[in-house]
Amino acid sequence: MKTLKRRFVGAVLLALGAVFAAGAAWAATPKDVLVVGVSSDPSTLDPAVTIDNFDMREIFPVYDRLVQYKVVNGLGTTAVEPMAAESWFASQDGLTWTFKLKPGITFSDQTPLDADAVKYSIDRMMAIKMGPAGNFDSLDSVTVIDPLTVRFNLKHPFAPFLQVLATNGGSIVNPKTAKKAKGDDLAQGWLAQNMDGSGPYRLKEWLLGERLVLEARPGYWGPAPALKQIIIRIMREPSDRRLALEKGDIDITESILVDQLPQLEKNPAVRIGRYDGQFVEYVYLNNTRAPLNDKRVRQALSYAVDYRGLIDHVLQGYGAQMRGPVPSGMWGHNPKAFQYKRDVAKAKELLKEAGYGNGLTLTLIYSERRATWEQIATLLQSNFAEIGVDLKLEMMANPALRDRVANKNYELCLGAWSPDFGDPYMFANLWFDSQYGGMPGNRSYYSNPEVDQKLRRAAEAGDADERLKLYTEVQDTVIEEAPYIYLYQLKAIVPMRKEVEGFVFNPLLESMYNFATMRKR
Amino acid sequence: MPWSIRKSGIDGRKAWPVPGSALWLLLRNPSAVAGGGIVLFMALMAVLAPWLAPYDPNALNLAARLQAPSLAHWFGTDEMGRDLLSRVVFGARVSLVIGLVVIILAGGLGTLAGASAGYLGGRFDNVVMRVMDVILSFPSLVLAMALAAALGPSLKNAILAVAFTQVPKFARLARGEALNIRERLFIKAARVSGFSAPWIITRHVIPNCLATIMVLATLTVGETILVAASLSFIGLGAQPPTPEWGAIISVGRKFLLDQWWYPTFPGLFIVLTVVGYNILGDALRDVFDPRLRGGRL
Repeated sequence: MKTLKRRFVGAVLLALGAVFAAGAAWAATPKDVLVVGVSSDPSTLDPAVTIDNFDMREIFPVYDRLVQYKVVNGLGTTAVEPMAAESWFASQDGLTWTFKLKPGITFSDQTPLDADAVKYSIDRMMAIKMGPAGNFDSLDSVTVIDPLTVRFNLKHPFAPFLQVLATNGGSIVNPKTAKKAKGDDLAQGWLAQNMDGSGPYRLKEWLLGERLVLEARPGYWGPAPALKQIIIRIMREPSDRRLALEKGDIDITESILVDQLPQLEKNPAVRIGRYDGQFVEYVYLNNTRAPLNDKRVRQALSYAVDYRGLIDHVLQGYGAQMRGPVPSGMWGHNPKAFQYKRDVAKAKELLKEAGYGNGLTLTLIYSERRATWEQIATLLQSNFAEIGVDLKLEMMANPALRDRVANKNYELCLGAWSPDFGDPYMFANLWFDSQYGGMPGNRSYYSNPEVDQKLRRAAEAGDADERLKLYTEVQDTVIEEAPYIYLYQLKAIVPMRKEVEGFVFNPLLESMYNFATMRKR
Repeated sequence: MPWSIRKSGIDGRKAWPVPGSALWLLLRNPSAVAGGGIVLFMALMAVLAPWLAPYDPNALNLAARLQAPSLAHWFGTDEMGRDLLSRVVFGARVSLVIGLVVIILAGGLGTLAGASAGYLGGRFDNVVMRVMDVILSFPSLVLAMALAAALGPSLKNAILAVAFTQVPKFARLARGEALNIRERLFIKAARVSGFSAPWIITRHVIPNCLATIMVLATLTVGETILVAASLSFIGLGAQPPTPEWGAIISVGRKFLLDQWWYPTFPGLFIVLTVVGYNILGDALRDVFDPRLRGGRL
């Protein structure tokens, strides 16, 4: 009995300790330090590799790009303004874009940000051929005209090209990083964990699973930021993040369960920003694997989902069912497109036709990245059970999940997507063109030559009407063929302390913050 | 307790349980009664779950999400509107199955290995017991986690993993007993009469260590349920929608701040079950292990 008693006393002490630790209210964070509570570590810090907003959140404040999205009246827009570029002009045929750079921009080691640096960064990104390069398909080559003039030569006119330069693929990396290359990895190994840019911040430390710290970079060419230090704290539990926000341990958080918002809102120190975003969540169906390579099975799954219950209850109304891939608020969205509605009988019939009348077993993988995913997964499991599909759920860490998707090693996977620039290209070309199979965007590995052809034409066409027509046709096809289950478009919810000011929401910069122009009262 | 013995003796009536018998001793032991009561209660709950649970434990009702405990839902509802009382009641089933299967697997294998090692001695004894030492050198939860992760997350694999970590306990105990029994006269008689070692081990050695093994088994059930719940909590055990207590807490912890009832009730049931088995096990030891009777470990 003695050991039992000792164990019990130990447990009580431990519990008390936990209560005190949680209850101790720390003083609010210092005025020039901003603490952000996030759900997971970045997967890489290399702007040429990632298209994950959680990574871009750290990349954007460290690297400059030629242009950036303009802020008008405190609101983010899709129009661009100069960043590292001073001015630019496009040729009449839209095939060459020439940029004049701002003089005097330097990296931390005094290397100037010049035409060579731009060429190095873009060439490197194109050579790595990962997600970011998907935005730059129209690019043929980059030429250095003189130290402060650089020219982009396109293969074909590409309407949103200027906006593409504002995405993370356009980040300008110190050319000296080439020396850090190991073999032919183009310094990917080094740049995945280090950053060397000319932006307002630099990386101070990154303790995996704990925090990532950015500090103001001396010698920054623009106005010195009011926030000297940005601490990104990794807190996997939504309730931890919420508690920390209420206590003032962190200033901003994300991915809070909607069920917690009413209580959170009662705290006078917290403000909840709600914004119309273009953030969508959907299910990747691995189109290369039986039985999901059968259109009827995919349609059956699309018919099985209780979209209504999902949105009204799990999301508490903070979302709307998707109508095809292109979200509402972006041009190219088709308000008349077909929408799957819950229809159990039809779903069963489709499964029977496909030869799975006796049911089948599938596995859904998901991560803790979004607080609601566990509930979505449970709902899908229950919805699918009604049509005779036994859905196994497998939760894993986000990087593991990405590996599985990148290696085609999954059946169903919960995913989220937000646009980098304001063009349906982001939702059509990247999601459905077979050349972007895997992480670049076509995560279902969907392949349809006719769709490929139309998408490529739409990307190259200069005429907006023609593009719209092509995108509308493609959307009709991909809704019918259902390579994904189109779930919902979300409202962005950003809870922060009231003393934080100057945050600008931009649907193109979802989950990212304009640290350099934010401040605390 | 000679006084009571005398009393019932004077009475002359036929008493059941027979005074002085194990059951009689147990029933006179308050902690045995309390522990046994809890264990019996949980077992009944597990067996009668379909009749006791007011709702289908897996039926979603999105319109009734996260409702506080009420007459309709005694333990409240979870984030998918499932009735938590029903889930907790069905969870008793899962826990009972885990406990029993692990004990049968680990107890069976451990006893067989330990008794053989003790009886045969020599190199066999050495090899078996060193393997057991290696297993014992890992903290059981860590080893179970590693195994469950390697086998892939599922309830079946979690049970196998937990069972594996519990084998050495039984093996060591059985070996100690076997060393003792081996020297007894009836064993020597059997050996001289030409009975084979396997026959002697299964017919004589194992039955004679069964009492102590039962005590250990009862004590182990509690730990087993706790480890299995921990595995489910970290996603390596029961997979959704199985209403396993650890798994319910795992999801429910996200709601602890505003919906306290969600992780609280399954948590209470884990505590109750583990405490129940532990007290019962302690009491059984007091009764069955004469060397410890009256004393404490």
